[in-house]
Amino acid sequence: MNYRDRVKLLGGAGLGLGLRASGLASLAGWAGAAEAQADGGTLRWALTPEPPSLVTAFNSAQMVQQISAKMMDGLVAYDKKLDPLPSLATSWTVADDGRAVTFKLRDGVKWHDGTPFTSADVKYTFEEILRKHHPRGRATFANLESVETPDKLTAVFRLSKPSAYMMAALSASESPILPKHLYEKGDPTTSPQLAAPVGTGPFKFAEWQRGKFIRLVKNPDYWVKGEPHFDALIVRFIPDAGARAVALETGELDVSGGDPVPLADLKRLDALPSLDVTTEGYSMFGAMYYLEFNTRDPQFKDVRVRQAIAHAIDRDFVAKNTWFGYATPATGPISAKQPKFYTDSVPKYAFNTKRAEELLDQAGFPRKADGIRFKISHDPANGSEEYRRFGEYFRQAMKVIGIDVELRLSDAATYQRRIWTDNAYQTTSYGIFTMPDPTIGLQRVYWSKNIKKGVPYSNGSGYTSAEMDALLEAGQTERDPAKRRDIWHKMQVLAMTDLPIIPIINRSHTSVYNKRLAHFTDDVEGVFGTFAAVSRAPK
Amino acid sequence: MIERLGFWPRFARSPTALFGLVILAAIVVLAIVGPFLYAADPWAMATTPFQWPGDDPTHPLGSDNAGRDVLAGLIHGARVSLTIGIVAASAAVFIGVVVGAVAGYFRGVVDDLLMRFTEVFQTIPHFLLVIVLVALLQPSTPIICGAIAIVSWPPVARLVRGQFLTLRQRAFVESCVVIGMSAPRIIFTQILPNCIAPIIVTGSIMVASAILIEAGLSFLGLGDPNSMSWGAMIGFGRQSLRTAWYLAAIPGLAIQLTVLAISFVSEGLNDALNPRLG
Amino acid sequence: MGRFLVRRLAQALLVLVLIACTNFLIVNAAPGDMVDVMAGESGAADAAYLAALREKYSLDKPLPVRLGRYLGALATLDLGHSFRHNESVVRLILSRFPATLLLMFSALGIALVGGVVLGVAAARRPGSLRDSVISVVALLGYSTPLFWFGLMLTVLMSVKLGLLPSSGMSTIGEDFGTLGNAVDVGKHLLMPAVTLALFYISTYTRLMRASMLEVSGMDFARTAKAKGLNERQVAYRHVLRNAILPLVSLFGVQLGAVLGGSVVVEVVFGWPGLGTLAFDALFQRDYNLLMGILFLSSVLVVVVNLGVDLLYSVLDPRIEVGR
Repeated sequence: MNYRDRVKLLGGAGLGLGLRASGLASLAGWAGAAEAQADGGTLRWALTPEPPSLVTAFNSAQMVQQISAKMMDGLVAYDKKLDPLPSLATSWTVADDGRAVTFKLRDGVKWHDGTPFTSADVKYTFEEILRKHHPRGRATFANLESVETPDKLTAVFRLSKPSAYMMAALSASESPILPKHLYEKGDPTTSPQLAAPVGTGPFKFAEWQRGKFIRLVKNPDYWVKGEPHFDALIVRFIPDAGARAVALETGELDVSGGDPVPLADLKRLDALPSLDVTTEGYSMFGAMYYLEFNTRDPQFKDVRVRQAIAHAIDRDFVAKNTWFGYATPATGPISAKQPKFYTDSVPKYAFNTKRAEELLDQAGFPRKADGIRFKISHDPANGSEEYRRFGEYFRQAMKVIGIDVELRLSDAATYQRRIWTDNAYQTTSYGIFTMPDPTIGLQRVYWSKNIKKGVPYSNGSGYTSAEMDALLEAGQTERDPAKRRDIWHKMQVLAMTDLPIIPIINRSHTSVYNKRLAHFTDDVEGVFGTFAAVSRAPK
Repeated sequence: MIERLGFWPRFARSPTALFGLVILAAIVVLAIVGPFLYAADPWAMATTPFQWPGDDPTHPLGSDNAGRDVLAGLIHGARVSLTIGIVAASAAVFIGVVVGAVAGYFRGVVDDLLMRFTEVFQTIPHFLLVIVLVALLQPSTPIICGAIAIVSWPPVARLVRGQFLTLRQRAFVESCVVIGMSAPRIIFTQILPNCIAPIIVTGSIMVASAILIEAGLSFLGLGDPNSMSWGAMIGFGRQSLRTAWYLAAIPGLAIQLTVLAISFVSEGLNDALNPRLG
Repeated sequence: MGRFLVRRLAQALLVLVLIACTNFLIVNAAPGDMVDVMAGESGAADAAYLAALREKYSLDKPLPVRLGRYLGALATLDLGHSFRHNESVVRLILSRFPATLLLMFSALGIALVGGVVLGVAAARRPGSLRDSVISVVALLGYSTPLFWFGLMLTVLMSVKLGLLPSSGMSTIGEDFGTLGNAVDVGKHLLMPAVTLALFYISTYTRLMRASMLEVSGMDFARTAKAKGLNERQVAYRHVLRNAILPLVSLFGVQLGAVLGGSVVVEVVFGWPGLGTLAFDALFQRDYNLLMGILFLSSVLVVVVNLGVDLLYSVLDPRIEVGR
């Protein structure tokens, strides 16, 4: 056979494979349509990046939170107003002095291995795990002295000080309840449970093929009859954003959250008849994007310099172009989506480059011969294309008012070191979750007692203000909701006056899901929820 | 009887080499003169994002994901990519020549040690090492050039060492040793000029591979964020491949054309400097 | 021969030790470590928590101590533990190794076959239009940025035509039976293998062409021609068999570089191999895993190079080994 024939054979084989491929694809599609009516079948979900472990009690990285909540429940869930709903706890009462919370627990709940769930598990989880090992839990539950268990279905939380904010941190994705009998022997942080957990949740762990997928199966004894609606949940790892977009488009995936596809692609996907894009499911997080100054740097000592920079950033443009409309301009450090605490009666810095230039002149930084006033560096955070593009926008925006910006990119570890350990930066920008209660998520960047070397998302700017400290500390222990809201309003005014941080936008995160799913948007936590109520849409 | 043609006639005998040279010259001219002729700032977010080429006559090649002018990016990218290519390749050649010359001239233990050292950098997977170096230090142009040079010098060193081993034993070198010429003088004035030809050819190939490596780094997000290179442009366009594939296609074609031209020129140089029979 | 082998082995060992040290110093020279990454991902943490983590992972000891420990462990073939994955480094690498091996073998195989075909075609009529066209096409393959080609191929085959899956190694959660599974993997393999082959095909084509031309000029080929065999018979029966030797050795050498060669292609296609593992390990600052991959790939290169040299000397008795 000469080489010409050989080449033809190779080409023919390729074509054959192609035909086979489309044949198999249509076969799968037909099978999917036949299942549309009944329960059962497989839910296909993409999670990025691949989590290092599956139990969020030890690691609060967002992808660990997402997977953990499918297998382990929390004491409560939340409704659309972010008020607590019963989950493993059916009711709760706060004592008059605010220093005790009594939870009544659900009867008849079993762990995936058949053992009954009791208050001993709750005691163990909060005292031994969350208070000691959860990255946020150490602060959130710092006032928890002990958990009493008068009977198998009652748990009483004893607090050293009233801590109203604690009630906002009890969902499955934040404080999962763990089985005491499987963790208590040996060191819980190295337990094999972390890679193959047992919980009370709607899905049970089946297998984990690293680099490829995790397979979960239905928990037939789940404490909600009829849920979950799927027999299996496949969690795929597709590291490339473009590949995820294609998988959603071709129907290989049912759902993916946490901004699974590039924002630029979202409009196109939303327009497809099979897909829907939603920004719901993230209101609990109060996601913001901040520009932070290193207040130790003499360049930024004069508040007029900071104000000038605030005036030179067109937050509208950033929301529309850098975030493709999946954001709104921020007026203050608290998310506009959290009406319990948000106020917009704060000093504003409208986009006005003339005013910016005036302020800089007044502060003593005139334009030199080459048109530049001074040079600074900017370190945008990792984790998102948009952060880098904001850095590029910032450079251009500052050029207009005569400030030369050098962009410095680095990987996550270097960035962490630079900002929070070495404080070796001038300006930085990053995304932050302010959480449903500002004491949990916002205080940490404004409180002078939280200037901690080596701790990310602590007070890296070095901002110290006795007035701010007083407000924050009052906000921790105040029990009256109206008074608390007052305190946080005052805090926002002060934050926007002192301006160590310029809040840029309120972010909307996105999830993309196939319309053949129903009830996905019912859960206020979206992909951070349990997926128990998600089912196939009726045809 | 074999005619001994001069360098240029030999080079010009190959149509591909000439073609490559013309293209390369055009790109170099574009890189140098372009920013003056077409003065748009490649970083300015001048217009609405994702305009296709031809939509807006003021932006002939369209705009990217942040509304930046693609043509301006292309022109500035030429400068960046070529500069990085040449600097990295020069550094690699320099290191390689020094190591190879010393190893080939002094032989013995020095040679053994230097060759082991060379093998270390030849054995570690190249692209992986470049990524590691750039990611761990900082993605800036000097570091990128350095990292590329670090993985590229071993072949040069081997080549130069081979040449030196052979030439060292030649009579004209021995006579220099006898008359007491110092080693550096012998190396630089006697031996090196005689093996310039393969060094030049290898160097030109290095420029091409340096451009490709830099493009790969920028694509992975590890390029210098303050310079607009062709690889970075492809990286910007990566996320909108479905609707705005011209963003990736145009700079990709530019890279392809440049590397092709350099490769043609290298081949032409090789044929011209190392004439083979038949 | 025996002395040659011993000397080469000693040299190889020295190189490997140097490589291990180099890897260690490079990886640890950077600011920030795995605990910083973990803390950042958690979005929170306090100083005590981080200090405890650092102690647990022995990241708080001084550099020379850690280097000494690392080299000591290496001597017992212990590549350490990946704290990120909670798994031994060796087991992690072995679990991803088949995927990368499959990809590289396929890509090199395609490139070899393609290179032989094109190279022979070019060499049979040197200087002709066919020769020039083939040379240009080969160079075009070399000049194309692989990630760009991979992306364009995905747009065409997955998105526009819907013929091939866009990423991954197999369709998750489906079992098509043994043959069906093999076909499924093949569908996923096609685009990444072709993309990777693009780069190597240029080298193989040119090498084949040069080798064919060189061997055609040798005595035995001329004798065959003089005996009256036609040109095609000479080309295939006599010349090709000998000319293909350098390609075989190149194939071996490139296979040895398997672990490092495919990072970009694996990232673009989401191929779950060592390239993506190393890439992730880098950004997660999973030092043990990253150093493990760098080291093992170096070992592989050294071993394969040695093997190829020996094989070559056996195949071609003209080469004297041990000089």
